Amino acid sequence: MEKNGKGFSMPKSSLKSTPSKDDSSQKSKEGRKVQFNNGGSPEERFDYSKSNGKSSSSADKGGRGNTANVKASKSKEKEPLELRLNQELLKNAKCLMDCEAAEIIQGIQDQMTLLSQDATIKLPVSFHKGLQYSQANARYTNTHSVRRVLEYPSYFNVNVLTKLPSTLKKHGVVEGEISVIANACPESTEEVFALVPSLKSKKSILQEPLEVALMVIKPLRKVDSTSV
Amino acid sequence: MFFHIVLERNMQLHPRYFGRNLRDNLVSKLMKDVEGTCSGKHGFVVAITGIENVGKGLIRDGTGFVTFPVKYQCVVFRPFKGEILEAVVTMVNKMGFFAEAGPVQIFVSNHVKIQKDSEVRLKIIGTRVDATEIFCIGTIKDDFLGVINDPTTT
Repeated sequence: MEKNGKGFSMPKSSLKSTPSKDDSSQKSKEGRKVQFNNGGSPEERFDYSKSNGKSSSSADKGGRGNTANVKASKSKEKEPLELRLNQELLKNAKCLMDCEAAEIIQGIQDQMTLLSQDATIKLPVSFHKGLQYSQANARYTNTHSVRRVLEYPSYFNVNVLTKLPSTLKKHGVVEGEISVIANACPESTEEVFALVPSLKSKKSILQEPLEVALMVIKPLRKVDSTSV
Repeated sequence: MFFHIVLERNMQLHPRYFGRNLRDNLVSKLMKDVEGTCSGKHGFVVAITGIENVGKGLIRDGTGFVTFPVKYQCVVFRPFKGEILEAVVTMVNKMGFFAEAGPVQIFVSNHVKIQKDSEVRLKIIGTRVDATEIFCIGTIKDDFLGVINDPTTT
């Protein structure tokens, strides 16, 4: 059973979680990373960057951790950093698109029905909810193609395109952002830049590769009979 | 968002489980302990996909229990601030509505008429971790966000 202190994290307020360092102008990554209160339980070890060492020290201070600072997120530059910074936090984690997660979880469920010799192993509620959610949002017929198009050098449509643009990953789009793009099934690049504001700074470079990527993955979408 | 991650845990096993089924007992204990839990670091553990490594067991002094460090791969669901999600409305009240995306509940403060079971696309603007669940605050007041489909029109 994981035990975590209560914490309400909003942008900027995370810096106030370490009472000894109340430097609101400090834009260091370390300060902003203290979003979650680490349980600090000795049972679980986790490889992450040094910033978490700081948050565990805040947990040591009576586990008060994040104070409930309700500040509405006004500056947009704070929000997009969250996805990027947390990518470092979960460095050894592979970010999954909903369609990929659906395949994996479905596979496990199929396995469980075969291996359900132990009657006490029951799949938890979060498993079923996770399965349901990922299947509802798995909108592509071929998940591997989608992943390839968004990440790796594209060799699709060689006849149509005379110039092959570089991949998104090459331009510094992180895995988390790629997953958000894939999950959202955007119709246009405008939508992509609106949903992932951290890419706005590279708008000029990413415009073309994004257009191509969207064009290629559009036919891979499942046709939904209920959608308008 | 879903992640595929490797975690490590020290599992304590009672000597009654030793024998040829030691590893199986260890794995089932791990699944019982971990699946369905939630923590701030990595969110909800949705499912364990495999065991990477089981280390050497250490006998604890005085009790006879043995501690095994186990490395396992699992799928976790962890919502991030700034993430775009599609959720289903579960409850509406005068302050706004609650929506559910996977195991996570999200509250959106909103004054547009919305119905239960409609699908909305929202952005997460804040997260909070409780002992066993993660709770989020979201918004639909940005570009390309809002109601996707109504249960009445389908």
